[in-house]
Amino acid sequence: MVLVLVLALGDLHIPHRAPDLPAKFKSMLVPGKIQHIICTGNLCIKDVHDYLKIVCPDMHIIRGEYDEETRYPEIKTLTIGQFKIGVCHGHQIIPWGDLDSLAMLRRQLDVDILVTGHTHQFTAYKHEGGVVINPGSATGAYSSIAYDVNPSFVLMDIDGLRVVVYVYELIDGEVKVDKIDFKKTTAVTHSAY
Amino acid sequence: MVKKRVPDWLNSSLWASTPPPDDERLNRYVSKSTTTYAAESPVEPPVPVPPPAAARQEPPKPEIRDPLINNDNGSSASSSAEEISRQAQLLQELSRKVVNVGELRKLASRGIPDGAGIRSTVWKLLLGYLPSDRGLWSSELAKKRSQYKHFKEELLMNPSEITRRLDKSTNPENEESECSGLLSRSEITEGEHPLSLGQTSIWNQFFQDTEIIEQIDRDVKRTHPDMNFFSGDSQFAKSNQEALKNILVVFAKLNPGIRYVQGMNEILAPLFYVFRNDPNEEYAAFAEADTFFCFVELLSGFRDHFCQQLDNSVVGIRSTITKLSQLLKEHDEELWRHLEVTTKVNPQFYAFRWITLLLTQEFNFADSLIIWDTLLSDPEGPQETLLRICCAMLILVRRRLLAGDFTSNLKLLQHYPSTNISHLLYVANKMRSQPARQIF
Repeated sequence: MVLVLVLALGDLHIPHRAPDLPAKFKSMLVPGKIQHIICTGNLCIKDVHDYLKIVCPDMHIIRGEYDEETRYPEIKTLTIGQFKIGVCHGHQIIPWGDLDSLAMLRRQLDVDILVTGHTHQFTAYKHEGGVVINPGSATGAYSSIAYDVNPSFVLMDIDGLRVVVYVYELIDGEVKVDKIDFKKTTAVTHSAY
Repeated sequence: MVKKRVPDWLNSSLWASTPPPDDERLNRYVSKSTTTYAAESPVEPPVPVPPPAAARQEPPKPEIRDPLINNDNGSSASSSAEEISRQAQLLQELSRKVVNVGELRKLASRGIPDGAGIRSTVWKLLLGYLPSDRGLWSSELAKKRSQYKHFKEELLMNPSEITRRLDKSTNPENEESECSGLLSRSEITEGEHPLSLGQTSIWNQFFQDTEIIEQIDRDVKRTHPDMNFFSGDSQFAKSNQEALKNILVVFAKLNPGIRYVQGMNEILAPLFYVFRNDPNEEYAAFAEADTFFCFVELLSGFRDHFCQQLDNSVVGIRSTITKLSQLLKEHDEELWRHLEVTTKVNPQFYAFRWITLLLTQEFNFADSLIIWDTLLSDPEGPQETLLRICCAMLILVRRRLLAGDFTSNLKLLQHYPSTNISHLLYVANKMRSQPARQIF
């Protein structure tokens, strides 16, 4: 059985709001362990893109409103294993961070997991057989709605119909890891893998 | 078969497969008198008394062939009377309720004929995998096979599966009741997340093992690329490769001190080949498990050769090579002097591979099985026999070596010419009895 680890992160705002990822995060993000990266946007510069490319070459990046690279798409859907995943930065969804609006987008894209950012707050909601995840800001950059932000990102272990979501947060200088289990009920009829 | 013109140096009596009458040799083996000591290798066309062109001619190999499978018919037609009688004796010994392993060793050391498909069973007995009491076989095998299955399940799982099983046991299926809302989070205990760098973390260990597994995978794919059994696109080859890989991975995980070293795949290959080709279907189906234990047993005598830290120690490879050197000096001082002193051919240059890989790379596959028959059956233990065979290999080409310089000698020894295996083994065996004088 092959290991499928998917890193989801975003809203780094390097260099405008944060100089770099926290050192403790960088020491963990070692190349060779992760199979895919999903980025919700607002890197903002190419250097960050290149760094992430080293961690894992298979990247799916969405455009945030401050990204310098204008060619990233605004919305993307992909299938990894048995899960359909949709990604969008989230500044387009109003009210920002509103569960019902995000749920609507999830239904519209017809995905099992919707990954969005923008609020810089980690959240994971279950909604009608699907999940909406916000990995927060990997650098702890401030947002328009929150100033005191703990750096966070998400690692998903996709194992058949089950996904284990590991939440990594830097709180008071220490890395805290939580785990969320989610199982979907029906299999995809076809899969990219 | 292509007949080559025989070079003069080959026209010596050394190559005659009928050695000069020698009572001692006859007495050593079996009371029944024998005419020729001719363990046929199946690939060679049937010739009971080979002419001086006994240098085995390699059959042209345009396609991938399995030496034993394709030539069973050929060999049985050509078996000499001696071989048939030996086969009968082996069968008789194997059919006893309690096998006399000592007797088996004597019979097997002359080579196990392929016709009866008994090599698999004999090797298992010689390696101590099967007890000598037949009655215990089925229970012993069942125990070992289930143990191997257990190893595989434990060691070949990835951490994702492991955490899944742990979770299932701690909190059985629940939830999924609420339709929407925040998903509950549970805190992770020390280090059990995929990016953990902790030494005890199963995830970290998994990623560290990945490197070894990749190395094993590469080596397995390169094992015997000319044989259908090991290589190619067939389902059979792939399942065999998978088995080899599993065995090596399980071994590496169970032996963190030595893990996997390149070359272990070459020692594994003949064992698995023989067991997988057992005519008994049940045994063939469990070849992977049986091979694992026999591999461990076989390797236990030679493990130290694979451990780099032991290279210079009393048990390491260098010491073994020195023993070979001394053996050569004992039996053929002139050759020893010429090789090591005059032409400065350090035995490490050629003997390293001969010894660590148990001669699997120096002869064709079928011949190496016959050599292994002798290696495994010798009561002195495989290492002693191995050194004698290596010494015999040197002595058999002494004319060329004595005439050669560093370059030609090294080239010769690193690409050892094909030879009459039975004669080689005969010469090797003679050294047992004549410790301190030259044979010639």
